[in-house]
Amino acid sequence: MPEISHTWLPFLYLYGVGGVFFLIGMIIIRKSNAIDLKKKRHRYWYRVLILGYFYFLAFHAIFTLIALYW
Amino acid sequence: METTTNNIHTTFHSIGSSTDWIVMIIYFIVIMLFGSYFGKYNRSTKDFFFGGRRFKWWLIAFSIVATGVGSHSFVKYSAKGFEYGFASTMTYINDWFFIPFFLFGWLPIIVYTRIRSIPEYFEKRFSPSARFLATILLMFYMVGYIGIGFLTLGKALKPMLPENFMLLGTQFDITLMGIIIFIAIVTGIYITFGGQTAVIFTDLLQGAVLLFAGFLLFFLGVSYLGGFETFWNLLPVSWKLPLADMTKPPDFNFIGIFWQDGVAGSIGFLFMNMGLIMRFMATKSVDEGRKAATFNILFMLPLSAVVVGNAGWIGKALSISNPELVPASTSPDQIFVVVANIVAIPGVFGFIMAALTAALMSTVDTLINATAAIYINDIHRPIVTFLEKGKEEGKGKDKKELAAARWSSVFITAFGVVSVLAFKNFPTVYEAHGFFHSTLTPPLVIAIFLGIFWKKFTPSAVISTFVGGVALMILGLYDPNLITPFAHGIEMNTNHPYSYIRALYNLFVCGAVAVLVTYSTTIQQNIVAKIRSKSNHKQIAYGLTTVSVILFLLISFNVGAFYLQFIAILVITIIVAVITTYFVEYDPIAQTEGLTVWSLAKAKLDFKGSKINDEEGEIIKVAWKLKDGEEDIANFSKNDMAKMKANVGDLVYLCDTRKILGGLKSVHTVYGEPHNEDGMVVLNNEHILNGVFIKGKMLTAEKEM
Repeated sequence: MPEISHTWLPFLYLYGVGGVFFLIGMIIIRKSNAIDLKKKRHRYWYRVLILGYFYFLAFHAIFTLIALYW
Repeated sequence: METTTNNIHTTFHSIGSSTDWIVMIIYFIVIMLFGSYFGKYNRSTKDFFFGGRRFKWWLIAFSIVATGVGSHSFVKYSAKGFEYGFASTMTYINDWFFIPFFLFGWLPIIVYTRIRSIPEYFEKRFSPSARFLATILLMFYMVGYIGIGFLTLGKALKPMLPENFMLLGTQFDITLMGIIIFIAIVTGIYITFGGQTAVIFTDLLQGAVLLFAGFLLFFLGVSYLGGFETFWNLLPVSWKLPLADMTKPPDFNFIGIFWQDGVAGSIGFLFMNMGLIMRFMATKSVDEGRKAATFNILFMLPLSAVVVGNAGWIGKALSISNPELVPASTSPDQIFVVVANIVAIPGVFGFIMAALTAALMSTVDTLINATAAIYINDIHRPIVTFLEKGKEEGKGKDKKELAAARWSSVFITAFGVVSVLAFKNFPTVYEAHGFFHSTLTPPLVIAIFLGIFWKKFTPSAVISTFVGGVALMILGLYDPNLITPFAHGIEMNTNHPYSYIRALYNLFVCGAVAVLVTYSTTIQQNIVAKIRSKSNHKQIAYGLTTVSVILFLLISFNVGAFYLQFIAILVITIIVAVITTYFVEYDPIAQTEGLTVWSLAKAKLDFKGSKINDEEGEIIKVAWKLKDGEEDIANFSKNDMAKMKANVGDLVYLCDTRKILGGLKSVHTVYGEPHNEDGMVVLNNEHILNGVFIKGKMLTAEKEM
């Protein structure tokens, strides 16, 4: 079994540090009204952005599990 | 097939058969003819570079595949796939963190401000001097990128060629640089005569072929090994993990690659890569650009990761099951060609190699086209404007610019070939590209990023970043021990120290200079006020400029002890901040309005030129007829305008109804006064020529804003 430095630590670093950048981006575009949640189209994009983050998170988590246990 | 082995790697020559070469040549001729056909859609430099802002999202999304896959090539990811397994996919699946900044920050700004190049943004947002420095840095970045593309192409073709050949009784060695020069000549041909529309359409075709060829290779490879289960069981567990080890080894570790590619590379690719940005600018609207970018990152990049890396994975499995066929010592940069040759029959191998090399050429073409756009906008046009003072306007000027654009493409191709010399000594293309990203992107990444998202960011801060930040980066190049505190424990390889993690150090020093100089604006203004109060204030300012140039040159040539160089950099940064405040006239309101994420509504208003109409209307089908006159307005019936919820002065997009064309035959214009003939739009001759509309074919009309 590979060490945690090759399995879950990079995963946590990627979605932790990367997640901080993502969160800052989401806060800035909301505070600046660049994304206006009163608009139907922008609400759609807001959901796409959040889902995208979890889509990639799930992607890496599933492939790590497959590598380790399948 | 021949092999030569040195102490480290086994290298291959003369791979493939004459059938493969015939297939490759036919493929190239078809692609070039296909690209040349679309050259007719270039009626101006705007069309040549930007494709006339007309295309649908799907067309751009697929055409980006060839650009992305080509630049992050088969060669380098197969190499890392062969050495380290599925972690070769990392760099294709770490771009999402910056996508909110791009979709709702940079993308609307570049479209609504109608900027034609990134340096132009620097002039609007900061000053002409910031534009000048940004142009220099960006040209280095783009030409370096072209060099990496050529290096990859050369390394892809070298295993297929013999070590030497005879001509007129003389033996000539086939060298990497010789191959690259030949490729550069071929590459230059259709970009010079095709332009952006040609590139978009050849990339569209090649993107599809590339995905097909990549998956075909994976399928053939897995079949060759005896099925997926055999392939899977042959690979060690550590090869199946999707992310690399945190800090080991120095040439492939997660932390270094995260900062180099996930942060500097992602921002660089989305915000600085003019080739990619021009694709998004070719979409018909901001929303369409968002769709193209999102689709590309969510779906096309993960697929591309498999397409480009799988030859390395198959190679690894083959090196375990049949080490005589694929020795573990095989040169990683050759593994793609070696595996493709083993698993594919003659002809199919030629097709796979043609798809690979043609896609790489697409990337290089896109970059050459983009660099030529920067040259025209940021060097040629300002110089011509200064020399001719607006002597020649209109179509004559545009024709001359189009010629200059074509010639600049030729020279940029030559510079790209020369830049290969800086990268060819790295062990693999992957490391060369990593070092390139870590070193060249940080100052521009910090400058663009803070320019867009931080209103307080000033011209003195951006120019200090370009000078003081770069000086600190040079210090890190000469003394890599400076980077050690940022290395997270990654071991330093003395031959190529901190190829990836230096990105974090470089981002940090550039960011620190940017923030500190911005927050000391009041102090700079006080110092400048004191200088201005002296009678010889101009001499003082020029004297300080001279001192900073001399100190920068001393640091560039590594003159003096480390601590003296460090002090000199602090002095340079302070001087540059002060003299920029002295020389640059900066209006913090006018130069941020519509140019940062905080005032996008203003940018949109300026783009339209009148009140925004956001009411959602119908998309209608209309016939068209011609009218006299050159005014850029289209006339619809009252009823049709009501259906579209459009008012006179709103913007409208007209497009051929055939969806398969993806917006190729389309035009943007403005609603004029209505008439009473429903289902009919009246257009002038310029609309018909720009839209390449065909008599008798219906159009769709859609209100933009």
